[in-house]
Amino acid sequence: MLKAIDMKKVINYINGRPIRITLVMCCLALASCSKFLDETPKGSITPQSFYKTANDLQLAETALALQFNLAFNQVTAPYYAGDDIAAKRNGNKIDFSDFDVFNANSSNSRMTTWWNAFYGTIKSANSLLANYNNATEATADQKNNAGGYAYFMRAISYFYLTRTWGEVPMPVDNSINDNRPNAKVADLYNLIVGDLQKAETMLPDHWTGPAKQNGVDVLPTKGSAKALLANVYLTMAGWPLKQADKYSLAAAKAKEVIDNKATWGYTLLTNFPDLWKFSNRFNTEAVYACYFNKTTPNATWGNGNMMAPNPYAPDYEEGGWEDGFGEISFFNRFPAGPRKDATYQKDYFVKNDPANVVDWQHTLQKHPYFLKYREDDQFNWSNHKAGDWWSSATSFVIRYSEVLLTYAEAQAMSAGPDANAYLAINQVRQRAGLTPLPEGLSQTDFRNAVVAERGWEFAGEFGIRWFDLVRTETVQQANSLRDAGEVALINHPSDAGHTYYWAPIPFVK
Amino acid sequence: MVISKKVLLLFVGLALFVTSLAQTRKITGKVTGPDQQPLEGATVVVKGLGHGTSTLKDGSFVINVPETGNTLIFSFTGMEVQEVPLADKTTVRVQLKGKVSKLDDVVVIGYGTQKRRDLTGAVSTLSSQAYKEQPVLNASSAIQGRVAGVSVTNNSGAPGGSVKLRIRGPNSINGGNDPLYVVDGVALGSTGLGDLNVSDIASMEVLKDASATAVYGSRGANGVVLITTKSGSSGVPRIEYNGFVSFNRPMKKYSLMDPVTYAKMANLTSGVNTFPDPQSYAGKGTDWQNMIFSNSVTQSHELSVTGGKEGVKYYVSGFYIDQQGLLVNSSQKRFGFRSNLDVKLSSRLDFGVNVYLARINSHNNGDMGSKGNPVTGALTWAPTEAVYDAPGQYNRFGISPIWANPYMTIKESDNDNFGNIGVFNARLKYAITDWLTFTVNAALDLKTAKSASLRNDWISPGNPGSSQGSTESYTFQNSNILTFHKTFDKHDLTATALVEESSNKYNYFNASGSGLASLSNGYHNLGLNASQSINSGYSNWALLSYMGRVAYSYNDKYLLTATLRRDGSSKFQGNNKWSSFPSFSAGWKLSNEKFIDDLGVFSNLKLRAGWGVTGNQAIDPYSTLGLLNSVIYSYGTPNGYQGYTLGNPATPNVKWETSKQTDIGLDMGFLNGRINITADYYNKNTSDLLLFTRIANYDGGGSYLKNIGKVNNKGWEFMIEGTPYKGRELTWSTSLNLSFNKNKVIDLGKDSLLERNVIGGGLISAPIQVVKVGQPMGAFYLIPWEGVYQSDNGAYKAGDAKYRDVNGNGSIGFEDRVIAGSATPTFIWGFNNSFAYKNFELNIFIQGSHGNKIFNATYAATAIPTSDVKFINLADAANYWTSSNTNSTWANPASKNKSWIESTQFLQDGGYVRLKNVSLSYTLPKNLLKVAAAKVYVSAQNIATLTKYKGFDPEATTVGGDVDAGIDLGAYPSPKTVTVGLQVKF
Repeated sequence: MLKAIDMKKVINYINGRPIRITLVMCCLALASCSKFLDETPKGSITPQSFYKTANDLQLAETALALQFNLAFNQVTAPYYAGDDIAAKRNGNKIDFSDFDVFNANSSNSRMTTWWNAFYGTIKSANSLLANYNNATEATADQKNNAGGYAYFMRAISYFYLTRTWGEVPMPVDNSINDNRPNAKVADLYNLIVGDLQKAETMLPDHWTGPAKQNGVDVLPTKGSAKALLANVYLTMAGWPLKQADKYSLAAAKAKEVIDNKATWGYTLLTNFPDLWKFSNRFNTEAVYACYFNKTTPNATWGNGNMMAPNPYAPDYEEGGWEDGFGEISFFNRFPAGPRKDATYQKDYFVKNDPANVVDWQHTLQKHPYFLKYREDDQFNWSNHKAGDWWSSATSFVIRYSEVLLTYAEAQAMSAGPDANAYLAINQVRQRAGLTPLPEGLSQTDFRNAVVAERGWEFAGEFGIRWFDLVRTETVQQANSLRDAGEVALINHPSDAGHTYYWAPIPFVK
Repeated sequence: MVISKKVLLLFVGLALFVTSLAQTRKITGKVTGPDQQPLEGATVVVKGLGHGTSTLKDGSFVINVPETGNTLIFSFTGMEVQEVPLADKTTVRVQLKGKVSKLDDVVVIGYGTQKRRDLTGAVSTLSSQAYKEQPVLNASSAIQGRVAGVSVTNNSGAPGGSVKLRIRGPNSINGGNDPLYVVDGVALGSTGLGDLNVSDIASMEVLKDASATAVYGSRGANGVVLITTKSGSSGVPRIEYNGFVSFNRPMKKYSLMDPVTYAKMANLTSGVNTFPDPQSYAGKGTDWQNMIFSNSVTQSHELSVTGGKEGVKYYVSGFYIDQQGLLVNSSQKRFGFRSNLDVKLSSRLDFGVNVYLARINSHNNGDMGSKGNPVTGALTWAPTEAVYDAPGQYNRFGISPIWANPYMTIKESDNDNFGNIGVFNARLKYAITDWLTFTVNAALDLKTAKSASLRNDWISPGNPGSSQGSTESYTFQNSNILTFHKTFDKHDLTATALVEESSNKYNYFNASGSGLASLSNGYHNLGLNASQSINSGYSNWALLSYMGRVAYSYNDKYLLTATLRRDGSSKFQGNNKWSSFPSFSAGWKLSNEKFIDDLGVFSNLKLRAGWGVTGNQAIDPYSTLGLLNSVIYSYGTPNGYQGYTLGNPATPNVKWETSKQTDIGLDMGFLNGRINITADYYNKNTSDLLLFTRIANYDGGGSYLKNIGKVNNKGWEFMIEGTPYKGRELTWSTSLNLSFNKNKVIDLGKDSLLERNVIGGGLISAPIQVVKVGQPMGAFYLIPWEGVYQSDNGAYKAGDAKYRDVNGNGSIGFEDRVIAGSATPTFIWGFNNSFAYKNFELNIFIQGSHGNKIFNATYAATAIPTSDVKFINLADAANYWTSSNTNSTWANPASKNKSWIESTQFLQDGGYVRLKNVSLSYTLPKNLLKVAAAKVYVSAQNIATLTKYKGFDPEATTVGGDVDAGIDLGAYPSPKTVTVGLQVKF
C-alpha cells in the first residue's frame, strides 16, 4: 500500500539532498548510448546489402522490366517523320505534326518520353552490370542471366536512342557527369554489339518464375538477343555507318533464330489479326515485347499501356484521342488483304452509332485510322467505345516476322536473293494474304520489296518504318509520294544531305 | 529512450503522494479595482505555496494560509499584480491598479521565460485576445496578418488543408522552411500546428532572429513558434462555452464559355466540324463548377473548465468541429480534449502534466488525382457534355479533356483518413535553492492514422478495389534544464544549461487490392480482392543536444545574452553529425537613462542587437545513404511483384545547412504605453544549402544531395499598436504590422542556374521554375509572350500567338525562357481595428501580401490546347484576335502554330488585399443572465479580396513549397464564410 511510504519523509529526503538528486538526474540525462545517432534504415534496401542473392537479382530484373515499359506504353513523336503515320496540325497535336512536317525543335514536348525512359533503363542496367557478379548467394546461371538481361536492356536502349537522335551521351556506369559529351555513332554501335554478344551467351533459353507467363517469356531470352543483334547488324549496314560487311552477320544471326525457333518457341501466328486480340496478349510471335496489367494493385504508370485504346482512334467519330492516323499515300500503296484489314479501321461509327457507318474518306479528318492498338478487355466493338483511358494490351518490340524479313533482306544483300531469302519473306506475305514474291528479282528489287514489306507488316509500330527509311536513305524519296491530303511539309528532308534524319536532342537532356 | 522512461517513473512515483499540510491561519479581505468597484474572480495566492482562491461577487475572499506562508499575491486580468506581506494581519484590503503596459508580461523564450522589458532578441507575442473576434479553426489562421515578419498562406482550402507559414522568408531550397512549433516545451515532431485545438492556446510567441532561436540550434533556422496552452488558476471553477456555425460559399467562379461558343471554338481548334451544329447546344449543357462546388456548413463547439485549490490547478477542455468542404463530398471532423494539471508537491517541488488527445476524420480532402483533379476537371470539361448518359450512369469520358468526369470523380471517391493525435508532457520543477532550479520535461507527441479507400466501378472501371493503410509517428523528447538566477546589487544574472534528447520513429503499412468481388463490404474486407499488394516501411531520426545560455543585466539598463547549443543529428554521417550554434545579443534600455527620461517623450525605449547561428537538418532520414527505389511490376499479370532499382547516389559528405542572422531592433512606447512601436531590421545568410541537384536525364535523372550555395533574406518589420481613442463609451484600438523581405539566391556553387523538375506533365512539358543566382527563390522561367501577330510574318499568320525569340535562332522553344518574377512575396501586412461601444464590439481585419507571381496552370488549361485538354473553355479566350478584333491578345484557336503554356501569358500577379474578418459582437447585459456572461457575434471572413489574380484564390496553390512554388494546378480554393457565434461564461 502507498500508505506504507511516508510522503513527508520522501519530500524531506529530496529537499535535504538537492545537489545529490540533481547530479543523479544529470548523469541519467548524459548517459546516452553511442548508437543513439546511428542510422539504420530497417525498412529500406541499401546498395551495400543489395545484389547479394538470387532474389536480389530477380528484384533488380523486375525493376528493369518496368523501367523499359515506359518507352512502349504511349506514342512518341520522332517516328511521325515516317511515311506511315501523320497527325493533324491543330491544337495539342502540333508537336506530333512538327515531326511529320520536319519542323520539330529541341523543345518538342512529345519526344522526351523515349529519351527519359531509355536513359532510365540504362541507369538501372548499368547498376546491375556493375554488381551482378558480386551476388555471392546466386548460382553462376542466375548471375549470367541477370547480367545478360542488363546487357540486352542497355543495348536495346542505345539502339533506339542512336537511331532516333544519332550522337548521344553514352554513360556505361553510374557516375554522374553534368557535361557528358555525345558519343560517336560508331562507338555507340560498338557498345551495342558488344553488349548483345554477351547477352546472347548469358541469357537463358527460357525464364522461370514470374518472367514466364502463359508459356511466354516476358523477359528477353537468348533468342531475343540474337534477333535484336541481327537487326542491329542490318542497321549498321545502312546509313549512317554503311558497313556492308554487316549484312552477312545479320543474315547469320537471323538464321540462328530461324533455325532454332523451336528452342525458344517462336512461330508466326496463323492469322495476322490475332496479334491484336486482347486474348492473345501473350503469344508465340513475340520475340520480345512489353507486357502490362493495369489491374495490378498499386499499379504505377509503367504497369499500364496507353497505346490502347485511344491514341489511334478517331476523335469526332468515336471519341478517341486521334494522336495519329495513317498517311494516305502509304495506305493506298498498302496491298489489300487480311493484314490491311487488321492494320486499318474500315468502318467508322459516327458518334459511336453503329447504324451510322462511314468509310475513312468520310471521316472528319479524311484519313484511315490504325486499328492495331485498339482492343483491350473493355473496348466495346458493338459501338467502338473505349472503356478506359489505358489498358493491359501488349506492345510488341520484336515480332518473329521481323526476324524473317531481316533475314530475307540481309541474305539478299550479302549472298543474293536465294531460295532461303524468298522462303523467309514469302512466309510473311502468305500470312498477309499476298502471293509469293516474283522469282528472279534483282538484289536491289528484292531488297526494295523487303523494305516495303516491312512497311506494310509494321505500319504504326513504334518507328520501325521510320528507321527503315533512315537506314536505306529514302526519307526524301518516300515523302515525294506524300498525298495532297496531308499537311504540307514545312521543311524538306534531303537523302543526299541526310537532313532531318535525326531528331533534335531534347533541350532538357 | 531509457532516460525518458526513468524520468517518467519518477514522476509517477511523486505524483502518487500528496503533501499533507501543516497548521494554517484564516485571512479574510476584499479586492477592488482602480475605481473602487469590487472585483469578482480576482486570484489570491499564497506566495511560494501556490494554493489560493478567487474573490466573490462583492470582492471578498477567505483563505487559509499555512504557517510558512507570509505573503499574498493578488491578480486580475488587465491589472497589475500586487504582493501584500501578511505579518500579523488577518484582514487585507487591496486596490489593484490598471496595467499600463505589457512590458511586465512574461514572455516564453524557449527553455525559460523572460520579462518583455528584458528581451534582447526579436520575439513577437500573439495573445489569444488578439483574434478573439475571428472564428479560427487553425492556429495559423490566427497568426496570419497579425505578426510582423510571418507570412501565412492557405495553400489549400480543403477542410484541414495545408498552410504555409514562413518566418522572415524562405532560407532553404530542399532542407525545409517550416518553423519549429513548440507546445508547452514540446517540440512537435509527429503532429502539426493544425492538429491543435486553437481554443486551448493562451498565447503564441514567435522567435524570429537567430539570437532568439539559437537555443533551438539545428531546428531554429526557420524561426520558432512557442505555443503556451491555457493553465488553471485558483478559485471557483469557471466554465466557458464557445460555439459557432459558418456558412461557406465559393469566393468566385471562372467565367467559362457557354456550350454553343464552346462548340464553335472546338470546331476552330480542330479545323473541322467536330460539332456539326453548335447552335443545337443552346440552353443545354452542364455548368461543371456548379456541380462540384456546394454551399457548405462548418460548426465548432468548445467547452472548458478551469479552476484550482490547495496547490492544484487545472484546465480541462473539449472540442468538436465538423467542417464540410467547398467541394461536394469532402469533409473533416475533429474532436478531442485537453487536460492541463499543475500540482505543487512541496514548497520546492512543482509537478505538471498536460495531456492532449484528438481524433481527426477526413473524407476526400486530399489531392484527388493531381492535375486531373475535380477543380481543373470542372473548368476544362466540355460544357456540351452531360453529367449522366442515362439515369445513374455517369458520362465517364467527354470530348475533352482526357480526364474522367469531375463530378463523378469527387462524388464516387471514397477516401477516408482517421487520425489520432496525442501530445503528452510531464514536467517536474525542483527548486534546489532559491537561485537554482532543475526542470525535467518528458514528452511524447504522436500521430497514428489509418487510411482506407474504396474504388468502385466508376473510379476504377471494370476493376474495383479497396485498400487500407496505417502510419505511426512517435516523437520522444526529454529535456533537462538547470536554471540559475541571482541578483547581486545592480547585477542580475540568469544562466541556463540544457541536455536534451529527441527522437522519432515512423512506420507505415499499406495493403491494396484489386478485382474486388463485392462492394457490399466497402473497404472493410480486403480479402474480397482478387489480387493483393502489401508494402511497409520504417524510419527513425535522433537528435542529441547540449545548450547553455547566460542572460545578464546591469542596473536595469544594459542587457546581454549569450547562448551556445551543440547538436548531433542522426541524419548526417561520421564527423558531419555534430555542429555548434552560438549567439550573442545585447539591449540598452534608453528610457531608463536620465537623458532620455528627461525628454518626457518615451515611456519605453529600448535598442536591441543580436547575431546568431542556426542550422537546418530538415531532410528526410536516410537521405544521404543512397537507398534503392522500390517499384511494383506485374509481368502482365494481375499480381504485383516487388522490384528494386538504383535510387539517388549516396552522399555521406553532406552536412548541416547553417544560417547566420543579424538583427537590430528598437522598441518604443509613448503616452504611458498607449502607443507602442517595434521596428526590426534583419539580415540572414544561409550557406551550405542542402540542395537536391537535378541529375541529367541521360544519367538516369533523379537528384543528388549537396551542400552548395547561399541564400540571403533581409528585411524590415514594423509593428504599431495603440489605442488612438479612449472615451467613456467608445474605445478604438488598432494594430498595424508591415513586413518587407528581400529574398535572394547568392551562390549555387559552380552553377548559376538550376532547373527544377517538370510539374504538371500533360499540361506543362518543361521546367518553368529555376533557382538562379541573383533571383529570389521560386523564380519563374518562361517564354516571353507578346500577344498575337497583327499581320502575317513568315511562318506566322496574323492571329497566331507571338513570343519573343530571345536567343534569336528563328524558332520558339525552351531556349527562349527568361526569368519572369518569383513566387516569394516581398511585402506583407495586417491591419486590425477594434471599436468597442457600450456592449458592442466591431472588429475589422484587413490583410495583404504583395510582390509574388502565380503561374496559373488551371487558367492556362482552360485557355489553350494542351496534350491533356484539347479544346479551350475560358470565356475571354473566345474573344480571339481577328482582323476586325485587333485589340484581343488571344490567339486564333484555328492557329497552325503552337501556343506555349510554358509562357508568361499565364503568369499572374499574386498580390492581394483581403478583408479577412469583419465581426460584430454584443455582450449581453449582466442583469439579463443571472449566472452567466454571454456574448453573441456575427462575422464574415474572406468577404472581399482585391487582386489581379485570375484564379479562384491567390492564396491557393497546388505547389506550396518555396523553390517549386506558386503554381496553381487545380488548387482547392478557400471559401468565403458568414459565421454566427455564441460565447457563454459561467
